[in-house]
Amino acid sequence: MARMKFLCDAERCIECNGCVTACKQEHDIPWGVNRRRVVTINDGVPGERSISVACMHCSDAPCMAVCPVDCFYKTEEGVVLHDKDLCIGCGYCFYACPFGAPQFPQTGAFGVRGKMDKCTFCAGGPEANNSEEEFRKYGRNRLAEGKLPACAEMCSTKALLGGDGDVLADIYRQRVTVRGRGGDVWGWATAYGQPGQAPAQAPAKGGKS
Amino acid sequence: MIRSAWVIGVAAAAFALAACGERPQVIQYKQGAYQGKPDQKPYANAPFDGNQQKWDNDLRQRNQAQNEYKRIGS
Amino acid sequence: MLLTRKSESAPAATPRLKRLSGASAPTIDRRTFLKRSGFVAGAGAFATQLPYGAIQPARAQKAAEGAGATEVHRTVCTHCSVGCAIDAHVQNGVWVRQEPVFDSPINLGAHCAKGASIREHGHGEYRLKSPMKLVDGKWQKLSWDQAINEVGDKLLALRKDAGPDSVFWIGSSKHNNEQSYLFRKFVSYFGSNNMDHQARICHSTTVAGVANTWGYGAMTNSYNDMQNTKCALYIGSNAAEAHPVSMLHMLHAKENGAKMIVADPRFTRTAAKADMHCRIRSGTDIPFLFGVLHHIFKNGWEDKQYIHDRVYGMDKVREEVLAKWTPDKVEEACGVPEAQVAKVAEMMAKNRPSTLVWCMGQTQHTIGNAMVRASCILQLALGNIGVSGGGANIFRGHDNVQGATDVGPNPDSLPGYYGIAAGSWKHFAAVWGVDYDWIKGRFASQAMMEKPGMTVSRWIDGVLEKNELIDQDSNLRGIVFWGHAPNSQSRGKEMVEAMKKLDLLVVVDPYPSATAAMAAMVRKDGVYLLPAATQFETSGSCTASNRSIQWRERVISPLFEAQTDHAIMYAFAKKFGYGAEFVKNYKIVKPDGDRKFEEPEMESVLREINRGVWTIGYTGQSPERLKLHMKHMNTFDVKSLRAKGGPCDGDYFGLPWPCYGTPEIKHPGSPNLYMTSRHMMDGGGCFRANFGVERGGETLLAEDGSHPAGGDLTSGYPEFDHVLMKKLGWWDELTEAEKKAAEGKNWKTDLSGGIQRVSMKHGAHPFGNAKARAIVWNFPDGIPQHREPIYSPRPDLIAKYPTHDDKKAFWRLPTLFKTMQEKNKDISKEYPIVLTSGRLVEYEGGGEETRSNPWLAELQQENFVEINPKDANDRGIRDGEYVWVKTPTGAQLKVKALVTERVGAGTSFIPFHFSGWWQGKDMLEYYPEGAHPVVRGEAVNTATTYGYDAVTMMQETKTTLCQVAKA
Repeated sequence: MARMKFLCDAERCIECNGCVTACKQEHDIPWGVNRRRVVTINDGVPGERSISVACMHCSDAPCMAVCPVDCFYKTEEGVVLHDKDLCIGCGYCFYACPFGAPQFPQTGAFGVRGKMDKCTFCAGGPEANNSEEEFRKYGRNRLAEGKLPACAEMCSTKALLGGDGDVLADIYRQRVTVRGRGGDVWGWATAYGQPGQAPAQAPAKGGKS
Repeated sequence: MIRSAWVIGVAAAAFALAACGERPQVIQYKQGAYQGKPDQKPYANAPFDGNQQKWDNDLRQRNQAQNEYKRIGS
Repeated sequence: MLLTRKSESAPAATPRLKRLSGASAPTIDRRTFLKRSGFVAGAGAFATQLPYGAIQPARAQKAAEGAGATEVHRTVCTHCSVGCAIDAHVQNGVWVRQEPVFDSPINLGAHCAKGASIREHGHGEYRLKSPMKLVDGKWQKLSWDQAINEVGDKLLALRKDAGPDSVFWIGSSKHNNEQSYLFRKFVSYFGSNNMDHQARICHSTTVAGVANTWGYGAMTNSYNDMQNTKCALYIGSNAAEAHPVSMLHMLHAKENGAKMIVADPRFTRTAAKADMHCRIRSGTDIPFLFGVLHHIFKNGWEDKQYIHDRVYGMDKVREEVLAKWTPDKVEEACGVPEAQVAKVAEMMAKNRPSTLVWCMGQTQHTIGNAMVRASCILQLALGNIGVSGGGANIFRGHDNVQGATDVGPNPDSLPGYYGIAAGSWKHFAAVWGVDYDWIKGRFASQAMMEKPGMTVSRWIDGVLEKNELIDQDSNLRGIVFWGHAPNSQSRGKEMVEAMKKLDLLVVVDPYPSATAAMAAMVRKDGVYLLPAATQFETSGSCTASNRSIQWRERVISPLFEAQTDHAIMYAFAKKFGYGAEFVKNYKIVKPDGDRKFEEPEMESVLREINRGVWTIGYTGQSPERLKLHMKHMNTFDVKSLRAKGGPCDGDYFGLPWPCYGTPEIKHPGSPNLYMTSRHMMDGGGCFRANFGVERGGETLLAEDGSHPAGGDLTSGYPEFDHVLMKKLGWWDELTEAEKKAAEGKNWKTDLSGGIQRVSMKHGAHPFGNAKARAIVWNFPDGIPQHREPIYSPRPDLIAKYPTHDDKKAFWRLPTLFKTMQEKNKDISKEYPIVLTSGRLVEYEGGGEETRSNPWLAELQQENFVEINPKDANDRGIRDGEYVWVKTPTGAQLKVKALVTERVGAGTSFIPFHFSGWWQGKDMLEYYPEGAHPVVRGEAVNTATTYGYDAVTMMQETKTTLCQVAKA
């Protein structure tokens, strides 16, 4: 059984925004809604790194926990989706989400009543698979076509991976093994030390093992 | 799924009855349980037609398109 | 590095149509779709009538991709030279989806922002929708027949009154090979060499400099081959933004241990991925490269055997580099300290094969031709040319700029770099099936027929310069922009003066709006706009930077009233009275019935190219072979590009030129040029014998033992002709028919291909086996010399490294160097900041097309200037504020300040993709209604200054000066 996840390799991401437009194009997403965006740290100086961020499809999703109308559900594959017919657009999920995933459109498609919109892992929503209804409210359902999210499939450097977490782990592990290090950001240095350096020192006594 | 269908059924009935009498003032939420419409499994439709294993395998295989080592070698 | 992400500025001008899901498409016919996509106001209502809250029965519908409903057409992205394949899904004539082509060995399904949103071309909301003309300052619709007649009559009148050279034709690197080739023929038949295209302002210095060094002016290896490199030096290339998918290969190589160095005035996104960044001062590539070479020679790291066998003149370069480019001089000029330069030398020398990548950071200078040769020399010294993993990986710009350079509208050459001497014209007269004297009669004279035309970088001077100073009878009075942006050429302020003065301005383009708006700003009439089709609305071949040729299938028929470029050319050819001669060898087709003009079939045009372009091996790539490659992409190896088994067994992907001989002899193409370790019929080669056999008593031919592997000739030899064939006793291996055709001919002009076939059978290179030239004696600086830019921030260095002397009749125009530099020697007191320009990943070229794509436009909504915090603080400028960027031309640009360490103090950067603002004013009112891009901004080239390369007339856009002030 698949457990869908995204993983963005900061050593590879070149902030080309291919994932952003792949998503917009695939789902016909209007101006002002960015289900996915690229975040850059240390822009323009050594240490510059980017990652592409969308809904992380949390296993214990805060949005689900706080939603006052319980419009969220999680599929068997671990994709967090919601019912726009039920959503009241309150934005509580926006508060709860640590990644800024929920989007609140202004006008036109996806947003007539300001309902929340977010990355669906290209899995549509609670309408018949690949129906017009589903496309109009949630975008394409690539999973039901046997395809993976457009952003990951089109990533220019194959930095962004999307699919079964187990498979992604294999792909990423191979890269890390070949290059001998991970992302060099996101705490890798803290956890393992810089390449060629000793890792951060473990507590002398009584630390967690 | 059955549960949510039931919820919708109740809601529909309530709505129908509401036309005859007073409108309900407060919506009753079931805390922590999905209240929306049921969804289909991603492998419910063609070409998988419910064959989850085929769907799983297809996706696993397609996932390797994101792994250039598979095509290139190292 | 997003400057802004405005949410309030949704593009509201045209209602955003509700694109239809696959399931509903069958109920929507094409006409309805088109109406919705731009012609009918209020189309957006379709979406809003169905709010999400509305409870509707969930109609279970059949899967979108029902059997037979979807056609899949394989095409190639039209935004850069990487050549990313795309599968376009079409339903009922509407482009509804795009899917990645994982099978493509070039991009493996990957796309950047532009490629991933290419489907917008199926909507074309902001395109020009019908022919238009400017009447009394207003845009007015007219029919195609009217347009052809009116424009045709005016052009014929100009030709009659002022001669065929009074019109300048600006072709396009976005045309496919067949269209580019037709354009060269079309203008030739009009009777002029006054034509050019984007390559002039993109890589002309590369083409000239590199071809003169070793034979062909193209990328020697490929994006894919960078997987084999051990170290890559990017100098003047920001591949992460300009060629994002190339980074897939480089980052894979890096993951496997390759080193990566970036030399650039900016800490680019490419630099962010590198092991080392060297911040050079803009325009000082030669001091840097020769500084590196200094350390290589000093440590004896050069490849002595290779230099002995295959390079002419390296000893003199060595002497000069050791004497002149000592570390102190290098640091003084380019600002990079000795330790860093030495480290680069060591990395390049000790991690061989090492490769060198350059782009417009190196080409767009007054000494661009010398800079690229310095790069070549470095690679020759290291023995890196003709080696897998090495090479001069020159990344071209547009999707087909390589092809348009190879077979398209160049003012000094017929297709295939044949030149424009009488012999070349006779060769093509034979290929085109017309009489040489007839073509000659079309020109003003034989002299004008053999005189290179003007260049796109200077057309404004062709209009404005005093008549007695130009090298043709009439000034330019008519300009035809056929797939070319105006804002990509420098000196924009003078361009509008030139536009004002013209008799006629014709723009043929899917997105003619930048030119249209500039013209409408200064004119009341005499401007015509003709809507051309995109490359997704026709088929044809395109040549990626690595010389691989890919075939695009037609995705949709031309939207709105657009016509394909070749249909428009044919319509005009008929109007001009040479329709029959123009299409002599082609099948004529009408892919859209009577709704569109008839047009020459692309396959038959390619076959004519195959029959005529022997010089660079465009002969083996028949439409059938190319289509087979597109179909069986999965069989090609990613690192070597070679097919293992399958129907294309042994071929290299896209038959990268040269693919010599006829298609029947099945040359596999040449993935890496000049590679002596392979047999000729295996894609091997050697340096070209094109510069004589001897100079000053020294041989120019390769030394004994250096030759394509397995060849019968084991030493250097000149190019093949019928005499050499006979001398070698190989003549009798030609068939009787071949002998008849080859008699008196050489490998370039033998239309039978017999000479190429037999020489290659013997493993000998048809173009000879010679040495590369470290000294290009026919150029202004045989050994590349650093010369300060015309507008230099360093008056002290102008004295040491002055520019060239002025030139009188150079590409038909007087061209200033020293006069201009002297005049502006101290201008850096007023304009102290270096202004350079470059690309953003979201946009391409002049940007009109990509800024009309809402999916891209949203990501970069305003033009900006990158300025260092020190310079900003000194001027009281804060991040995000509007500033004025002023240059010595008197022009000023209103852009937002992006205060960043990305640029060093004293340098600023503006991307060049914007247009639609004129010195602070939005030009919206001058656009034809509904045909304005979503995002408009100040064009950097409105303010760029004078300066041209001393060989090719490349414009200087990478180094000029400016002052920045709070707005």
